[in-house]
Amino acid sequence: MDLIVGNERGVHGRVATRLAEIAAGHGVVLRIRRGEEMAECSSILDVLALALAQGTAITLLAEGAQAEAALTAAATLITAQDDP
Amino acid sequence: MTNNREKDDNRPLLSRTLRGIGVSPGIVVARVMVLKRQSMRAGWYHLPAERIEHEVERFTGAIQAAGEELVHLREKLAGDLADALSIIDSHLLMLKDRMMVERTMAIIRRNNVNAEWALAQALSEIKERFDQIDDPYIRERFTDIKHVADRVFGLLAGREHEPIAGADDPLILVANDFSPEDTLRMRAGNVHGFLSEKGGTTSHTAIVARSLGLPAVVGLEHATSVFATGDLIVLDGGTGQVVLHPEPAEILQRQESDRRNRAQADELDRYIHLVSETVDGYAVRLSANIEMLGELSAVLRYGSEGIGLFRSEFDYFHGRRPPNEEQLLATYRQLLETMAPHPVTVRTLDVGGDKFLNRFPGNKAWLDRERNPALGLRSIRFSLYERDLFRSQLRALLRASVYGRLRILLPLVSAPIELRQVKALMAELMTELEREHLPVAADVEVGMMVEVPSAVIMADVFAAEVDFFAIGTNDLIQYSLAIDRGNQYVAHLYEPFHPAVLRMIRQTVDAGHASNIPVSLCGEMAGDPLCAPVLMGLGLDELSMRPAVIPRIKRLLRHSRSGELQQLAKRILRCGDSDQVRDLLAIELPNLYPEEYYQR
Repeated sequence: MDLIVGNERGVHGRVATRLAEIAAGHGVVLRIRRGEEMAECSSILDVLALALAQGTAITLLAEGAQAEAALTAAATLITAQDDP
Repeated sequence: MTNNREKDDNRPLLSRTLRGIGVSPGIVVARVMVLKRQSMRAGWYHLPAERIEHEVERFTGAIQAAGEELVHLREKLAGDLADALSIIDSHLLMLKDRMMVERTMAIIRRNNVNAEWALAQALSEIKERFDQIDDPYIRERFTDIKHVADRVFGLLAGREHEPIAGADDPLILVANDFSPEDTLRMRAGNVHGFLSEKGGTTSHTAIVARSLGLPAVVGLEHATSVFATGDLIVLDGGTGQVVLHPEPAEILQRQESDRRNRAQADELDRYIHLVSETVDGYAVRLSANIEMLGELSAVLRYGSEGIGLFRSEFDYFHGRRPPNEEQLLATYRQLLETMAPHPVTVRTLDVGGDKFLNRFPGNKAWLDRERNPALGLRSIRFSLYERDLFRSQLRALLRASVYGRLRILLPLVSAPIELRQVKALMAELMTELEREHLPVAADVEVGMMVEVPSAVIMADVFAAEVDFFAIGTNDLIQYSLAIDRGNQYVAHLYEPFHPAVLRMIRQTVDAGHASNIPVSLCGEMAGDPLCAPVLMGLGLDELSMRPAVIPRIKRLLRHSRSGELQQLAKRILRCGDSDQVRDLLAIELPNLYPEEYYQR
């Protein structure tokens, strides 16, 4: 799923924390790809190190039984302009 | 406690006094708990092969214990602190992150090294990655990672679990700086004071300490190495003095002086609701210098008659980007509504361009290299240069004006052309606001800071162009005596009682009054009991100071007679140097204020 980061402060600590929670809550492996780089959402540091500022184009990938639901929740979070 | 000096050492302990910056008044005598940040001091040990798995276990044990501490901390905080809870949640994730845990374990196993060293390595790899991030906000998250790692380092070093909970003896916390979690732990009932190596009067620690009403001293270098956990100290959050290993007599003396301070504060409380005028009815407005809305409660508590100086920089520096008009409007509106009908003087952005651009990087990197920032693109010059920023501040101010009594104060004005440019801009904005049907009060006053010698010399010309003068003595002294107070070699020459300074104040007051405009003074001198009587005698209409000192200055004023103050000022102005001024005050003030000065 292709997305644009909406939060004005980018994917910062709280957003990355919520992403990890979404992955764990749905029992899926959730990944973010930015260009050549890929991070697994279970690692908050990997996600932060991608430095996803507002407007960055990313691809979201999920593997697992509840992949669809996890993608929807993660996409809502990442594209939202306001903090969770 | 591992390093209790009094038990390990039989030599008598010598009392020693150190000085930091007192940021939250009160005196407390207690043992210290040093929260060490030792991440950078992790030693290197090579371990024999059979010890490696034990070392890995020691590390995972520390990670688990750190996690338990965080969970415990999270449970103790009820839902009232959503922000703090989410910080702890992200810290928990960082703690368990593979870059932290798995990487450290791999380094221990591969290099046969101790856990501290391996964790320090892993941390520096993470730092390398974060250093490459352009976005300053995300890059700064490394600070959180470091706080998390510090917790693990602490546990590896054998620190007990949650040292503060459980112990009932009063404690003074000592740290290099306090993390958000430390700050929350400060709420624990047995924490009676704080001491940090970093920070100034507006640091997080200072603000939290004041709001908790606990004594705090900041900016005391090397505090975490000078003091060891278990040391007995006296902490004076008013003067910034810290006494290590105080003698029993000294403890008594400090406690007595604390009691006296409290008694005096009670006595001063009686002045809060009295009018600020001399015995013969000559009024001087006593107002407050503040920089954030959080201080408004103190302003009201100490009976301030308005805000003489609102430093507007805070809104520009606590966020990730400069504030927009609506955010500023919200701040100014609350200020004006709270203080109405008293006036609120808002000083427009007063920063150096270098500082501003370091914080919000633009494409003007050349400003970083300003040779002489004190004489550079700052204050009103910066505002006139960055017009968009200035427009939004002025628009927010004008829009807020309908909620109370607003005075706009322009900093560092040195030539009349600057005033005219501001006025032209304001006229433009007024038309704009009218077109947008946004109301503006009719009585907005526009004044200028008098803090550059040229402004003093030309005060008569300036007085015709503004509604009020505000003398800023901190900068005026610096610019007229050519002294940088932050330079240790010349700081002793910074002298408020330099006759040149006193004469400039007089000249400004005279020029203002000749044009029928009020003159206020808002430097540190205003709240200094030694300076205030002189300033009152020099004819200032308003003195603006830290809220907490207002009752004391009001008591002085209410025990004065205007004729005596004027006589005193006249004699002071005849002095040829600052020593003469001080000698004269040493003789005259005890005569004028026997109650105030005969006590000591």
